[in-house]
Amino acid sequence: MANFNIDAKKELTYDAIVIGSGISGGWAAKELCEKGLKVLVLERGPIVEHVVDYPTMNLDPWDMELRGGLTPDQKEKHYKAIRSGWIGTDTEHFWADDAANPYTEEKPFLWLRGHQMGGKSLLWGKQTYRWSDIDFKANAEDGHGVDWPIRYKDIEPWYTYVEKFAGISGEALGLPQLPDSHFLPPMELNCVEKHVKGRIEEQFAGRNMIIGRVAHLTQPHNGRGQCQNRNRCSRGCPYGAYFSSNAVTLPPANATGNLTIRPYSIVQSLIYDEAKGKATGVRIIDSETNEDIEYSAKIIFVNASTLSTTQILMNSKSNRFENGLGNDSGELGHNLMDHTYRVGAIGKVEGFEDKYYKGRRPNGIYIPRYVNIDEKSKSDKFVRGFGYQGGAYRGGNPANIEAFGAEYKDSILKPGGWEMFITGFAECLPYHDNKISLNSDVLDKWGQPTLTIDAEFKANEKALNKQIQEDAVEMLTKAGIKDVLGFDNEHPPGYGVHEMGTARMGRDPKTSVLNEFNQVHAAKNVFVTDGACMTSSSCVNPSLTYMALTARAADYAVSELKKLNI
Amino acid sequence: MDRRKALRKTGLFAGATILMPSMLSLFESCKSENRLDWEPLFFTEVEAKTIASLIDMILPRTDTPGGLDVKSDIFIDKVIAKTYDKSGQENMRAEIAAFNENCKSKYGDVFYDLNEADKTTILNEAEKNSGKFGSGVWGTGVGPQETIGFYRSMKSMAIWAYFTAEEIGENVLSYDPIPGKYEPCKPLSEVGNKWSLG
Repeated sequence: MANFNIDAKKELTYDAIVIGSGISGGWAAKELCEKGLKVLVLERGPIVEHVVDYPTMNLDPWDMELRGGLTPDQKEKHYKAIRSGWIGTDTEHFWADDAANPYTEEKPFLWLRGHQMGGKSLLWGKQTYRWSDIDFKANAEDGHGVDWPIRYKDIEPWYTYVEKFAGISGEALGLPQLPDSHFLPPMELNCVEKHVKGRIEEQFAGRNMIIGRVAHLTQPHNGRGQCQNRNRCSRGCPYGAYFSSNAVTLPPANATGNLTIRPYSIVQSLIYDEAKGKATGVRIIDSETNEDIEYSAKIIFVNASTLSTTQILMNSKSNRFENGLGNDSGELGHNLMDHTYRVGAIGKVEGFEDKYYKGRRPNGIYIPRYVNIDEKSKSDKFVRGFGYQGGAYRGGNPANIEAFGAEYKDSILKPGGWEMFITGFAECLPYHDNKISLNSDVLDKWGQPTLTIDAEFKANEKALNKQIQEDAVEMLTKAGIKDVLGFDNEHPPGYGVHEMGTARMGRDPKTSVLNEFNQVHAAKNVFVTDGACMTSSSCVNPSLTYMALTARAADYAVSELKKLNI
Repeated sequence: MDRRKALRKTGLFAGATILMPSMLSLFESCKSENRLDWEPLFFTEVEAKTIASLIDMILPRTDTPGGLDVKSDIFIDKVIAKTYDKSGQENMRAEIAAFNENCKSKYGDVFYDLNEADKTTILNEAEKNSGKFGSGVWGTGVGPQETIGFYRSMKSMAIWAYFTAEEIGENVLSYDPIPGKYEPCKPLSEVGNKWSLG
């Protein structure tokens, strides 16, 4: 792959500016470049070139001095994100510096960020599910939040479009609540998962257990290699087997010759021209030199990740928008959502002691939503629903075995017993008082105001979690699993890393920030297509929907640009 | 140069019964001369010998290398020196001291100077009252989590150090850095020991 053009010195004017290069920013860049626009992508962190900049991708534990352990300095740098339990030496460099980029938790909230080219697309879980009309109609039907300005039919062609390019593996089921994607062959369940699937499906009508639908290639696709089952995804994949901006969207954007990507560019604000009634560019701070620079463009895509996108809009104050660009409704910063996380059940599986597996499949099982999808499945305890992820594996903790010495040592060289867990992800309602605000008392390393996050799960989410745990225990128990333990870690929002909302789409400019094509109602050349745009949260993973909304909005933006409407 | 591979080669030439000469000298120095042949970054000599003795009781050499053969003690010393903060380090010192105090009060000596039977009694007791790790999902504990005592914690660290040592990871456990195809239901007999990479 050719090196990226990072020289944004000569040229200060572009057709389009894309803020951020993660999942949605990468798609915006690709679509806009391929449609012939000169595009400047502003990336807060360094360039991460596919393969070249994956320093840990092939390291075994013993190749790392501390075999994954973090030094006190690294722990200090990630003093918030470390709570996630995911950060080790192998991926430390892809997680943002919490010390340089502080935020304030009015209530506990874990904000995980990836400040580099590709953003969190390098680190995400790759679970990819279409939303259904049950999701797009939910707000209108139960009265929470505002109605989505789109329906499934509006986004369906764009799901198809992004899936065919990204490559999604999975099994078609024909479920109305979880529409099928265009699938590459599914990954496989292991023998315990197959067994449990059979037991659950025969005892619980309407419930399915399937292999996760994932953005991993199960066969070569568009010049990328297939998954080798190493499960070292978050270090960067040398085969380009999972979807990341670095491997999938930015290379073709670059190949058009229309892309400039400027690293170390912190977007301070958008510039709004009152006479023209639109945004004319952005102000950035070079994070290395502290230089202030302004870039101009006809259209601006804000894809900085949910909270950062809204932070930029809030910080874009003008006479016209005293409370942040596009905030006529007062909803900017509000209706923050995330999925609930780590509530479910785990137990031991007997009878498969002579069975094992080969390969570290970067995927698990999925149990699609089965409550509140029709009259029959309606709950009187909560609205909306949940799905489960999980998996079976041979594990056990050999340190727990009450033994030591020669016989013990030899025994722990063999795999431990089978275990299986399922853990739910519940939809979170859009609450006006779950919000973020600018904090001028706490400044970041570059003197910019930071965010205060004030959000919590409420009664509906707690009722969903209660059901998740009860059902998980019941399903595993009836599947014949032993020592079933229900759990609810009561994680606050943020742990699901599906933060959504704060600049929601809607039909009415009085109650929403964006319209049906992700345009800021009152500044039509500004588009927001990352998680900030979401009007509700569904219970399924949102990234595929960001991809589809972005491709759709980019298509619309270019057609509007050609018609001279924006 | 790759020191480990060079040592292994030496061992091979010398014959199968003679394992890694430098390791043997480490053993001897621990047991008879009462001093270390390596310089700890964190441990005092007493602490290092206590940890080495613990590792040797938990993961002794059999027909596969023991914990000390793959320098688990030296690695644990490095982990404590380089990843623990001050209070974690102080706590570690206090716990090792308390462990040895218990040995002294019961048998009159620090752990590594006890005879095999007394060491065994001490560890059997520690197995009973050091807590157990709870279940975990995706890197974080779920459900009730007991307080983990010094022994269980050190045992866990010793196992980690052992399983992630190159010799064990590549040559004792089943090593498969690039699996390629996922085989979802494979007879265990075709794999043998567990996979080293998780």
